Amino acid sequence: MTPSDRIHQIGSAPQMVSMLKRLTLVLISLAVLVGSALPVFAAAKFTGRWSLTVTIPESPGNSNMRTFTVIVDASPREGLHGRTTITNDEGQTVGGAWRQVGKKVSVTYELPCTGDTSCATLILIGKIKGGGLKIKNGNIIVMWDTPNEHNPALYDTSNGSFKADRLE
Amino acid sequence: MTKAARTVAVLVIVLSVASGSAVTPKARMQEEFTLTGEWIVTSSPINGELFSPHGNTLGFPERDMVFEQDGDLRTGVVLREDAGPDVRPLGVWRVNGDRFSTTFQLWCPDSSGPCGSIVMRGEFVRDDRIRGTMTAFFDVADDRSPTGYDTWTFSFKGDRVAPGSTSTRRDAK
Repeated sequence: MTPSDRIHQIGSAPQMVSMLKRLTLVLISLAVLVGSALPVFAAAKFTGRWSLTVTIPESPGNSNMRTFTVIVDASPREGLHGRTTITNDEGQTVGGAWRQVGKKVSVTYELPCTGDTSCATLILIGKIKGGGLKIKNGNIIVMWDTPNEHNPALYDTSNGSFKADRLE
Repeated sequence: MTKAARTVAVLVIVLSVASGSAVTPKARMQEEFTLTGEWIVTSSPINGELFSPHGNTLGFPERDMVFEQDGDLRTGVVLREDAGPDVRPLGVWRVNGDRFSTTFQLWCPDSSGPCGSIVMRGEFVRDDRIRGTMTAFFDVADDRSPTGYDTWTFSFKGDRVAPGSTSTRRDAK
């Protein structure tokens, strides 16, 4: 077989189909490899800066809800947990702690006690979606400072909700 | 000493004692408590409840907890050296008068099992002794619970580790 024959054979229709198939497989493999290396395709980490819109009752047993926005800066995890700072509209900053399994994230922090708001602890639970950019329909457990022997927590509790958008 | 002088002296003494006994509790009430430092915390069941309604439990081990404050940032860490040198559940805290609240995340290396968060509520018995209740909110749905999450509460008491005393403390940061 002469070199020109070989070239001709390589360029034949069955050979072209085989090469296209291989090329497609290679491209798919590359896409998977690149995709798994990018955070947006892997299980997105909570680490970073988020804007959270939080809605909770105004006080224990109150059906009136209040909504406020906080900026959450989540530091990288130390083992399974990470630290956060949470800054409200009034510029108050408190600490928090977070953990994550897969897409599921939990953040807990102490709500700053001010004159017009009841003291409480917040536990936020949500799933990171939107390629690591959003948390929708997150749940909040609110544990107030008011004792309540009829509640299994022995303090008043409420439920709230939150959504989050990644800023950085 | 004249009778008038004696009367004045007695009045002064009575007023001093009265004012002293009145100021002391007030001063104690105004004393600023802080969790900053290291505490050994022990827990025990309430009404014999060893498990949550869904069978979750943390047991009742002794815990070595370290609290720090940097401005408004009040952080805490549990030194779980029984489980490993790098097992350090993180939390935060606040104090209002003689009462305090802290919240921690549970350390769950087995991602297939339930995890959760802890809230500790209590009071300072003295500046080096605390007591209260811990509530575990497990990431398990429970329709019977007001929050919708499996909830379990137990009691605790804690003693501050005297600064400089031998302890298991390592760098908590």
